[in-house]
Amino acid sequence: MDGTPLLSTRNVIKRFGGVSALKGVSLAVEAGTVHGLLGENGAGKSTLVKIVAGLHNPTEGEVLLDGVPLGPVDVKAMEGHGVFLVTQEPAIVNPLSVAENLMLGRWPRRGVWVDTRAMYRLAGDYLEGTGLDPRGQAGRLSAVDRRKLNILRALHSGGRLIILDEPTTALTMADRKVLFDFMRKLKGEGVTFMFISHYNEEILEICDAVSVLRDGDLVAGNRPVAATTSDQLSELVLGHGLDLFSRKGRVPVAESAARPGWTFTDVKARGFAVPRLALAPGEIVGFAGLPGSGAQELARAIYGLLPASGTVTRSGTAKPLPRDPAAALKTGIAFLSEDRLKDGIVGIHSIARNISLSSLGGLSQAGVIRPAREKVLVADFFRRLSIKARGPEQPVGQLSGGNQQKVLLSRLLATHPKLLILNEPTRGIDVGVKEEVHRLVDSLTRDGVTVVIVTSDLDEMLRTVDRVVLFADGRIVGDHPAADLTKDDVLDIAFSTAGRSGPPRLRQDQPETIAS
Amino acid sequence: MSAQSDHIAAPAAAPVPVTRRRLTLGQRLSAGLAHVVWIWLAGLIIIFGVLNPFFFSTSNIQNVLVQATVLGLLGLAQSLVLLVGEIDLSIAAITGLSSALGALAIQSLGFPVPVGIALGIGIATLIGFVNGLCVTKLRMVSLIESLGMMITLQGALLALSKGNTITDMPDSYNWIGQATVGGWPVMPLVLLLAFIVMGFTLRRTILGRSLYATGGNAAAALVAGIRVSRVKIIAFTLSGFISGIAGWMLASWQMAITSNQGDGFLLYAIAAPIIGGVSVFGGRGGTLGILGGVLLLTVIHVGLAIVYVPSFYVTMIGGVLIFVAVAVDALRVNVLGEG
Repeated sequence: MDGTPLLSTRNVIKRFGGVSALKGVSLAVEAGTVHGLLGENGAGKSTLVKIVAGLHNPTEGEVLLDGVPLGPVDVKAMEGHGVFLVTQEPAIVNPLSVAENLMLGRWPRRGVWVDTRAMYRLAGDYLEGTGLDPRGQAGRLSAVDRRKLNILRALHSGGRLIILDEPTTALTMADRKVLFDFMRKLKGEGVTFMFISHYNEEILEICDAVSVLRDGDLVAGNRPVAATTSDQLSELVLGHGLDLFSRKGRVPVAESAARPGWTFTDVKARGFAVPRLALAPGEIVGFAGLPGSGAQELARAIYGLLPASGTVTRSGTAKPLPRDPAAALKTGIAFLSEDRLKDGIVGIHSIARNISLSSLGGLSQAGVIRPAREKVLVADFFRRLSIKARGPEQPVGQLSGGNQQKVLLSRLLATHPKLLILNEPTRGIDVGVKEEVHRLVDSLTRDGVTVVIVTSDLDEMLRTVDRVVLFADGRIVGDHPAADLTKDDVLDIAFSTAGRSGPPRLRQDQPETIAS
Repeated sequence: MSAQSDHIAAPAAAPVPVTRRRLTLGQRLSAGLAHVVWIWLAGLIIIFGVLNPFFFSTSNIQNVLVQATVLGLLGLAQSLVLLVGEIDLSIAAITGLSSALGALAIQSLGFPVPVGIALGIGIATLIGFVNGLCVTKLRMVSLIESLGMMITLQGALLALSKGNTITDMPDSYNWIGQATVGGWPVMPLVLLLAFIVMGFTLRRTILGRSLYATGGNAAAALVAGIRVSRVKIIAFTLSGFISGIAGWMLASWQMAITSNQGDGFLLYAIAAPIIGGVSVFGGRGGTLGILGGVLLLTVIHVGLAIVYVPSFYVTMIGGVLIFVAVAVDALRVNVLGEG
């Protein structure tokens, strides 16, 4: 507040072997602000964060706290200075209570025993007004409450500067708002945040200032967010203007015997029921809704990942829903998981093996894989999706998020799908790759492929899909051309928590038959 | 001349990008660790050979190969299950009980020898299948499920044999363990065949890929269209089948089935694949490494005896090796970040 930044770096250079990850970065984070950090994968963001958090030491240059150079440090030392890194996967011990997690390893003691009573009293005071129950089991917390708990734990340990590495990953729109309100409240109490995100909208919403890295250089430092637009941010990140993809000019594909559409009828499982949903060939349909609303559930049921009853009709032939993913793939349905690491990639295996995993049948004779065919397939996708890696033999776990997503998309496309279900297809990948993904999906629809996109990123959904199906409380509550909807409409209908207690507030042009 | 060639060499070496070298170092190191078993093997063979030249004699080499056969088969059986991220503690007990049932069917019930052998292997396969069902359909933890199965089978063998050793199997039953062609025992051919089939299956077939994918990330494999439960059941069933063959080999080689037949092999059958680079976390490991691990443990076993280490110490050294094997696995996964 007195002009000296809380944390700054002076000409920080970091080299790994001969590669410069950072080429002289001078960053300044003012106390009591939320400071955004943007940049593509590989721009040096995580290296900078690791240096600030004490995981790496700079090759040259220095890190200053309150204007004082720190010299070589480690994580413990930085935490001693009040700098805490809260990573993407919050480290919470699930079987323990919230209070036990809050004071993890620093519990009040009486002799060798944990003083439980004192712990809960202290935690109760500390957590007042945060909405967290000190006696609640940590494993039962929602995603956003887990983020809160991690931030509170850092603060309880004396944190002054909290570095949040993509904290909104896996959060719904509503949760995101809760997290941002929580951050604003803490900011009011003097806490400083560094906020890392791929989403311009989030940076613009929550941050006071933003710094942008590109190829190891700081191309914008401490730039006030108030005077910045999303397009300007994209341009800073990419180094050139971002040509946003839009589906506006698409030519509808006519339904024909060669290009049949998909009709799902009487899809029922615990907590949701969809009487009928028709998808046209070459159409991109967005599914929007809170977790548990039926959007995610229908997508999983269609792919055989969620046990459900129902019928799928194509070219006049009605069949029961696929009983497992293997059966779904045989009928031409492919599915992209929302959580790449959990049920997407096999990280320890090579890019090649990950790409061919779902299409081994077509690459083999009598169960024996033809290596030449596999090689051609892998090389083809490697080039077509411009996967950035050392080669097809590199383990997928070592790639950036965007490239992992490309490997998964390659796996899906190798099965020649007729219906592509994409769950959060652009989550955690940088802006340039996002547009690549949208264009790829668009090009598929020209061949009659039907695409379902399930995402909580509504801005993106509205510009990349033809039609939006809205879900709430396990049923479809709206079905509109994307062009007729605004983000607020979608929020009102599908994401309003009011829908939980009463009937969803429907728009005037809502088909009556669907209203419950 | 040499000065001149230095001049020519220098500019050629300079443009090699440093990054390239850095990346391949990690790769080289992990590749080295995966094959470290062959280095140990070569080293130990030389040491034992120097300490007692008899180690290199034909009869000793034959002995090593024969001894490696049963362990090798059990190592493969265990590897199948380890690859899918599970463990099977019952393989050695399957070996004992299935061979005893087969032999008794021949001796007491008058079954023809091939039928008795097939019966034993069939029972072993069935037990493996049951293990697979319990682990997948009933979601039992394989460590405890197979422990229960192991104790049950050991107890069944004891009850069946009343503590006596079964001997006097027909010569045709014992042929595979006793026959020689041109002075060389036939039994190692079974091992060779098993490794070739396994190597081909793992490298070139859909089943092999499915095993690796299931162990590498079962949730991802399921979404990618692999029927994970089926793959695990196949792994356990094949594991039982191979254990059954190992049971026949062991009985015909020893010409006897004791009331605790096979028990001593279990820990070595787990250690051998792990030393050879099969990960206990699943999804990683190859046939050559398993063979290396099997030969290494056999060479240690035979070699320690040949250089007159009292048998009291042999077990202890075997234990130390299992310990080292797991440490190497942890090093590969944690330090080199391949996990």
